[in-house]
Amino acid sequence: MIEYIVRRLIFGIFVLFIMTTFIFIVMRAVPGDVVTLQLANSGATAEQMDALKAEMGLDKSVLGQLVDWVSKAIQGDLGNSLWSGQQVSQIILERLPVTIQLALMSIVLAIIIGIPIGVISAVKQNSFIDHFLKIISIGGLSIPNFWLGLIMLTVLSLALNWIPPLGYQSFAENPFVNLQQMFLPAICLAITLSASIVRMTRSAVLEVLHSEFIRTVRAKGAKEGIVIFKHALRNSLVSVITLIGLQIGYLLGGTVVLESIFALPGLGSLIFESVLVRDYPIVQSTVLVFGGMFLLVNLIVDVMYGWVDPRIRAK
Amino acid sequence: MSQVQLDSELPNGRIKAGKNLHLSKLKQDCKRFIITQKIGFVSLLIILVVVAIAIVAPIIAPYDPISQDRAAFLAAPNAQHVMGTDDLGRDVFSRLVYGSQISLLVGIVTVVISIILGTLIGMISGYFGGIVDMIIQRIMDAIMSIPALILALFIAALLGPAIQNVIIALVIIEVPRFARIVRGEMLRIRESNYVEASRSVGAGSFRIIMKHGLPNMMAPIIVMASLAFGQTIIAEASLSFLGIGTPPPNPSWGLMLSDASMYMESAPWLVLFPGLALSILVLAFNLFGDALRDFLDPKMS
Repeated sequence: MIEYIVRRLIFGIFVLFIMTTFIFIVMRAVPGDVVTLQLANSGATAEQMDALKAEMGLDKSVLGQLVDWVSKAIQGDLGNSLWSGQQVSQIILERLPVTIQLALMSIVLAIIIGIPIGVISAVKQNSFIDHFLKIISIGGLSIPNFWLGLIMLTVLSLALNWIPPLGYQSFAENPFVNLQQMFLPAICLAITLSASIVRMTRSAVLEVLHSEFIRTVRAKGAKEGIVIFKHALRNSLVSVITLIGLQIGYLLGGTVVLESIFALPGLGSLIFESVLVRDYPIVQSTVLVFGGMFLLVNLIVDVMYGWVDPRIRAK
Repeated sequence: MSQVQLDSELPNGRIKAGKNLHLSKLKQDCKRFIITQKIGFVSLLIILVVVAIAIVAPIIAPYDPISQDRAAFLAAPNAQHVMGTDDLGRDVFSRLVYGSQISLLVGIVTVVISIILGTLIGMISGYFGGIVDMIIQRIMDAIMSIPALILALFIAALLGPAIQNVIIALVIIEVPRFARIVRGEMLRIRESNYVEASRSVGAGSFRIIMKHGLPNMMAPIIVMASLAFGQTIIAEASLSFLGIGTPPPNPSWGLMLSDASMYMESAPWLVLFPGLALSILVLAFNLFGDALRDFLDPKMS
């Protein structure tokens, strides 16, 4: 197991390296850089601009810059923001908890919504309820989550005259305000995620319900409730966990739009703000953090397989 | 899947008979699809209706989608403007009608280019294997490990707001997904008996890929394409919503929602209609893709 995890970690670092190179090349292949943006209207001469670029290391070749950045990043130094001069690692650490909280809340909400609906669909297979829930769940997949956010804000403000408290507060600062601010964006993300959990739970539960061992359990006279909750659901967990691993990319991507609608200072809004002003070190590092989260979650998912299903662990 | 495989195994001498067979089989398949996949069929009809609306937009739309009418800004839905007007007095219904062109255009162009590039890359990777496969797959892994919308945002924001830039960003996201499927199919096909057989009678790599590879992977590609359509349309809307997609004053649905977000309380109809249009179109593509998958691969359902 340890050997497996180590191998996956090495592989992950390798993927992150290719990712960095890709982002690096794309970012520098596109015209426009931070110095031109900053000094565009200041009347600075070309020499002054070149001097500033040299100071920031932007005068070197792309390869030279890449080597510079990677060798520092390995030592844990992600550089400084080209605009504020603040340490990138500091900025990211400030923003990261917001995005992680949002993602975790969405996953939990999605499971709470998705699994029961999936089980009902499976138990009532091919009935009217099943077809109805199928359309609802694919509907959940199809509704753009930012529209859902807008609709919720509109309805709540028109009907209840309520809007989430302005100005972000962390959970530690004020849990009550924090949850009010996080709940709406989390539920928007959760609805899309729960739609795929419904589909997955349904087919997984169906597969188990039609298997030999369930027939044995039934033959022994177990109640239907026990059959479903103790056996079918437990065996479906593996697929639901896989799905969360697959969907984590969607979830992290969705945070960008929702953080922007709900004015949450997370990583998603950070990358959006930084890429517009060509703040290379922040963009690079943030993409890396997003990619790292994606790979890490998938590693955790794969390790959890073994924990949920001992048969896989044996292999 | 197995049907398609059988067809491609028809010996050359029977190609003429095979063509007629194809046509009548296609008719039969369509009939069977309509009967067994009612939801999928209705979805297909919805898609076709939207396509028709996009084509005849100038006839349907009562107003110019861009012309402003300062006298009638933020008008609630009424007899002249069935869906009301926006903050610049533009007719929401006309903008919605023209907006379908943008969604479909971005969807079609992105999906077609992604299929072509993805299939090419996937086939090369799967057919040659070894070091070529290794390098291509690691690059695809790296691209796919960046959350899709973040990558799209990154590329679109760098390139600046324009429809072609949105398409470039979305193609970069979709290509690895198609490439992965095609590679998987290619690996499977490479090991199959009939490819072995054609190699033994001296068929070259190119011929094997074109004659056996392509026909055999049509089914998974078509299903994937229908689902990718929905994702692409949502992604275009999301980018336009953030202000880095389709530039104003184009009537992109995402852009309309972005304008609407400032008038949520005073003009809620602005939020309602573009989102509904978006959801219905994407829902139709998703349900159609789902039905196609059930239809083409009964094992999955």
